Amino acid sequence: MVTAFGILEIIASPLVALVVGIFFLGLFRKMMARIHWRYGPPLYQPVIDLVRLFHQRGFSHGTLFDLGIVVSLAGTVILVLFVPIGGMCALESSGGLLVILYLMLFAPLGIALSGGEGANPNISIGISRKLILALSYEVPFIFIILSLMSYYRTISIVEIVNAQSNFHWALFSPLVLSGLAYFMILPAMLGLRPFDMAGAPQEISSGTAVEYGGKYLAFSKIEHALALFIGIALFVNLFLGGGNILTFLLKMLVVFVAGVFVHAVFPRFRIEQATKYLWFWPTMISFVSLILIQIVR
Amino acid sequence: MLVKLIMLTAFGGAFLTWFLGKTSSRLRDFLAVIVSLAVNVLVALSYGKIQEIHWITFLDLSLVLRINTLSWFFAIAIQTVTTLSVIFSLTYMKGKERVDFYYLMMLLCNAGMLGIVLSGDLVSFYIFWEIMSWSAFLLISYNRGPALAAGMKYIVMSLVGSVAMLIGMLSLYTNYGTINISALAALGASASTGYMIFILILFFVAFGIKNAVWPFHSWLPPAHSEAPSPFSAVLSGILVRMGMYGFLLMLYVFLGVKAFLDLKLGWCPVHYILAWIGAINIVVPTFIAMFQNDSKRLLAWHGVGQGGYMILGVSLGTGMGVVGGTFHIVNHTSYIALLFLVVGAIEYRTGGVRDLNSLGGLIKKMPVVFIGALVGACGLIGLPMTNGFVSKWLIYKTLILDGHPFLAFAALVGTWGTILSLYKFLHNIFMGQLPEKYSNLKKAPFNMQLPIIIFSLIIIVFGILPGIPLKLIGAIGSSFGFESPGINIGGIVSETGTLNTINIFAAFLVSFILVWLLFRAGGKKVDIPQDNSYAAGSHVPRDKYHYTVEFYEPLFRMIKPYFRDFVDEFYMQLVKALEWLSERVRKVYCGDLGIYVIYIVLFLSILVISKIGLKLW
Repeated sequence: MVTAFGILEIIASPLVALVVGIFFLGLFRKMMARIHWRYGPPLYQPVIDLVRLFHQRGFSHGTLFDLGIVVSLAGTVILVLFVPIGGMCALESSGGLLVILYLMLFAPLGIALSGGEGANPNISIGISRKLILALSYEVPFIFIILSLMSYYRTISIVEIVNAQSNFHWALFSPLVLSGLAYFMILPAMLGLRPFDMAGAPQEISSGTAVEYGGKYLAFSKIEHALALFIGIALFVNLFLGGGNILTFLLKMLVVFVAGVFVHAVFPRFRIEQATKYLWFWPTMISFVSLILIQIVR
Repeated sequence: MLVKLIMLTAFGGAFLTWFLGKTSSRLRDFLAVIVSLAVNVLVALSYGKIQEIHWITFLDLSLVLRINTLSWFFAIAIQTVTTLSVIFSLTYMKGKERVDFYYLMMLLCNAGMLGIVLSGDLVSFYIFWEIMSWSAFLLISYNRGPALAAGMKYIVMSLVGSVAMLIGMLSLYTNYGTINISALAALGASASTGYMIFILILFFVAFGIKNAVWPFHSWLPPAHSEAPSPFSAVLSGILVRMGMYGFLLMLYVFLGVKAFLDLKLGWCPVHYILAWIGAINIVVPTFIAMFQNDSKRLLAWHGVGQGGYMILGVSLGTGMGVVGGTFHIVNHTSYIALLFLVVGAIEYRTGGVRDLNSLGGLIKKMPVVFIGALVGACGLIGLPMTNGFVSKWLIYKTLILDGHPFLAFAALVGTWGTILSLYKFLHNIFMGQLPEKYSNLKKAPFNMQLPIIIFSLIIIVFGILPGIPLKLIGAIGSSFGFESPGINIGGIVSETGTLNTINIFAAFLVSFILVWLLFRAGGKKVDIPQDNSYAAGSHVPRDKYHYTVEFYEPLFRMIKPYFRDFVDEFYMQLVKALEWLSERVRKVYCGDLGIYVIYIVLFLSILVISKIGLKLW
């Protein structure tokens, strides 16, 4: 039933996700700059950008162009409600991990529909790459999710998190190989280098974002920030045991910083190289892990 | 009485439509719609009836019609799809030749399908099955040309299935002395294991061919793509699923849950083999679909692929799995029929174009058709808030909690194949640049939009309030002897996991409205044409500036060698070998009288020699 606390959770989770996601965007730029031996923009630079973009004039290619970006942001916002954030999960009893798996489709699909209406070849190439990349990382990701669900015998993400309380982290259980594989595909899921070919700025003018300007670009950036948050939050929930809000955010920060280091040192893969990589090592490891779990259970 | 009336109206109406067509085409179209609507009302009225009535006596066998929850469920699906397809046909078939024949076959096929689900004995089941198969054959090859070859492929495979079914039925009759399905149901569980396997294999061939189960699927892609689009909708939506009806009948009515689950082939449980066939059926076709450039062929491969989910759900023998698999049948009916009608509307307006590479930008010309395509695609993918999600959720949950992670993997990866191919479908037809030759395209006519809208509504309503159909399907499950998986209006409530689609819908609605308001509050938007921003204001010659051809080229290069239709290639080799053999045999008949005399002399001498030889020894 809907309680006052429940409503509070529903309002609070997207806000936390938004603040943390935008903070990560700022931190990302700052860290990259320092790795490059530059001074870099201030941490709050993304906020300035967003406010400015939001008030600027934006170009539209039609109704679907507008609706697609709205749907993608709305889809990401409700996804946040399904992911436990430091002990609070607004819609925990509405379908569990399987629903999360499917809700994760709304954002890319909305962007893809919006971009398709834009009719720019760069967008279509970007979407094509994004979908192929998604197919590539979903193969190990499904193995990982299935290992988790069959190890804990539940499809509820909240129960998976609860089972890991008091340092019974999935990473330090027979699921260690799954955790390793997850970490290997995490850059692909977050769109970090070497897997940023879908939005490659130099080759295809940032792919799907090429036609976005003004509030459209602002929305796609917010969506990106939330998606970044969800991607890392899922990893922390599934393998690092969640935790209360403080430890949860701390764990997220650690994972994020590790991701930025990966991003900083790698060049970009071509899409075939990405698929070959993702379908070889992570898939093998996660597959072995799934077999292992079947034996253990 | 009502059941007899349904059959009479369906068959009588079909022939009456044909006769009327000889006088007036207007009257014929009108009657075709009236007949299908009337049967639809009659079927709807028979909701909740469970009865068996004697129909006629044939060779001392009592033929019976019966109706129960399972047959009503299929009957309403059949009739709804046919009615909407007939309405769609009104303009689609206008001006084509042999339209009387088309309507006769369409309605006859429908009557045959109704007969299958309403028949209570094996003989009438077989008769109606053949009526359906043959009228479907005539409709598939309606367009001549490549359609003839497609129809031939279909009917040859269909005949193999029919023969297998006939052998099975004869064997059942000689063994048990009855053809009544409910009488057989009481006897089935006591059969010996060997006999069960024998019957199961025969009926698996029969129903598997109709249901396009791998490795019997190869007739389906050409047949679906060559048939007239409204019939493709019927064909893929429900006719093919008569095979699923057969499976349900065989596994859970004739054998019964317990006998089926205990059945083993050697050490391997039979239901496990079936489930793996289902899993293969999901993965291979959905990946092949990704690389199709013909819009109907792409959908046809999904028709094969989605059949895998149904088999996977049904074959596991758990309450939730069977409910999920059965629900998937009706869900698949709604969205695949919708998508075929969408393609039909596009064919109608563009003059029969199905090539995905030459279309584009049609969203501006056919917005309603696009919405239909989008909803249908979301249903096929199984996005939350469409009916496809609920049935897939049930199947996944069964697989995971029952400890079949590898089967679940196949099912989940199949979803990704679906996403990629359906996005290509939407993108290449509706989005991007509008080719200049289509700049004067009109909207689809109302009678085409109406079925598209109705199907879209079904998909969304069943997706947000899945309790409506699930209640009925739960009753079917209970009639098989399963306990209900805890159905309520918004999905599933059980200890092992809850699904609440109303919650998801409410959350989506609220966040959509909030984001939309925020969007409206932002800076002004300016509508610009396609070439404005990426040509940076400079002049560009008029040409195609869009990326649609070979959409997944990098992936295609990698996995093409592995995702071919090996089964079809094998069959084609078989056909070639058979042709070669026949050619050799034909040479015996050379037409030279002298050589025929030599044959006779040789034959006689062999007789003589053998006679003498036998004597000597």
